[in-house]
Amino acid sequence: MKRNRTLRWIVIALVVILMTAYQVDEIDQAIVLQLGKPVRVVIEPGLHFKLPWPIQSVIFLDKRLLDYDSNPTEILTRDKKNLVLDNYAKWRIIDPLKFYVSVRDENGAQARLDDIIYSELRVELGKHDLDEVVTKNREDLMANVTTTTNEAAKAYGIEVVDVRIKRADLPAENERSVYERMRAERKRIANQYRSEGEEEALKIRAAADSMKVTIMANAYKEAQTIRGQAEGKAIDIYAKAVGKDPDFYDFLRSMEAYRKIIDTSTVLVLPPETEWLKWLK
Amino acid sequence: MPIPKKNITIGGEVFEVPDLGALFGRGLNALFIVIGALWLLSGIYIVQAEQQGVVRRFGKFVRVTSPGINYRLPWPIERVDKVGVATVRRAEVGFRTIDPGPPAKYQDKPEESLMLTGNLNIVKVDLIIQYKIVDPVDFLFKVKGMEATRRPIEAALRQVVGKHEIDEILTTGKGEIQEETLMLLQKIVDSYEAGLKIVAVQLQDVHPPDAVRDAFKDVASAREDRDRLVNIAQGYAADIIPRARGEAAKMVKDAEAFASERVAKAEGDAENFNRILNEYRSAREVTRKRMLLETLEQVLPGLKKYIVKSDKSGGILNILPLGSAAEGGRK
Repeated sequence: MKRNRTLRWIVIALVVILMTAYQVDEIDQAIVLQLGKPVRVVIEPGLHFKLPWPIQSVIFLDKRLLDYDSNPTEILTRDKKNLVLDNYAKWRIIDPLKFYVSVRDENGAQARLDDIIYSELRVELGKHDLDEVVTKNREDLMANVTTTTNEAAKAYGIEVVDVRIKRADLPAENERSVYERMRAERKRIANQYRSEGEEEALKIRAAADSMKVTIMANAYKEAQTIRGQAEGKAIDIYAKAVGKDPDFYDFLRSMEAYRKIIDTSTVLVLPPETEWLKWLK
Repeated sequence: MPIPKKNITIGGEVFEVPDLGALFGRGLNALFIVIGALWLLSGIYIVQAEQQGVVRRFGKFVRVTSPGINYRLPWPIERVDKVGVATVRRAEVGFRTIDPGPPAKYQDKPEESLMLTGNLNIVKVDLIIQYKIVDPVDFLFKVKGMEATRRPIEAALRQVVGKHEIDEILTTGKGEIQEETLMLLQKIVDSYEAGLKIVAVQLQDVHPPDAVRDAFKDVASAREDRDRLVNIAQGYAADIIPRARGEAAKMVKDAEAFASERVAKAEGDAENFNRILNEYRSAREVTRKRMLLETLEQVLPGLKKYIVKSDKSGGILNILPLGSAAEGGRK
């Protein structure tokens, strides 16, 4: 009998626990609703208790950092250029009560974030040139958008931690003109390479030619100097030799010259008084 | 175990029979004990070498457990999630491996890989990210679906590529881009407290978009053309300069040869003259005459000679013109 009674108590206790206990996970936060009206927020994870259903019920909201991803949208920059932006955001629910009352669930939040982020992006990008958005201060720009978005999202119990441009691309029709420009630029670079090649080649050839001329000129100079010195020396030798009897040299050299000058086409007209003809008389 | 007995009285007689109720009760107890034991045993779990276990009690995080056999309180009190912390995971941007092969098959994802560079050019980049979970608690509890998302990677990559010029990206800047992307990505995931460590960022294919690839190739061939022209010119220089040096050397040698010849000849002539002079000095007039006659003997044979008396006038005119006279003489 006694055992049956304890068993009964155990069963009753289990039923009560099952009806009143709930567990809040590390990744969740909970709102306790009493007859549909929020009465308290539970953030601490673990085992908690409430009045049994249908008096009180619990809804859970994610406590983690959540994803927001928009569809790519075209946005006009300050220099009136279109840019296709695909951005994402990281956000979390910081005020579950506000969140539950204003947007109800994550889907509602996504829709609200769509509006906020899109308008903040448009405002911010409208202040910058295309070039800045793509290259220079993307980071600052995104930090600004994050701040303003976060400010606006607070009303919904949402904290926006990070808004980031995933892709910033040109619209398809502008892409074509970019390709044209790239091609023209490449053409210019290619031409430059080729003319640089010709320039360099010409310089090398010219330098080589001029070097050749210099080498030959120097060699000529040296050769002439050598020849000149030799001539000088030869003249000196001749002069020294001849100096012993210039008259005889004159005679000797004349004889030698006659031998060379006179040939068979020479007609010689001689007076009979010629010295070596005297024996003919 | 003795079978429980109970006495029943039937018609004043007492029988001893097995007590079925007690037997059943005892069996039930045994069943409860077995079930209870099994329930308690279900708390045993194994954490593999590359894993860590994260235990939650009623949803609240209580401890991290190491590889090996571990125990947790059974469901529904405690639950464990095993996270592979030592495993290096990879994410691909710009392409997907469909079949790791071999041969490997890839699918191109142009919407991911085409991106704007500095100076608004477009480049095609394929990238692999390797990362690890370093903090399983953060990884499980701080960010929803962190592992699946490729968004921060794309954001980081595009931001970095946007800061570099296309030529840099295509040639020398790859290491820098990898480095910067890694730093930025780590900064982003740290700000999310995702519990991830980016191990490596590897640029796979980086090339110009298909639409302009031929133009880029032409630049490469132009660069080769330039080198070729320069090489040819250098070849020309390498050809003519040594040749010129050779010619120059020859010129100088020729001059030297001439010089030694000239001097030698002069010396020879001088010697000859001295010798003849010595001879001549011994008998001046005779020698001179002899030499004159010797010369005449050599020179005069075979040529026309006229011996004309030189009168007061017209003597020479008698034989003019000389040319025809010479001709006539030859007949």
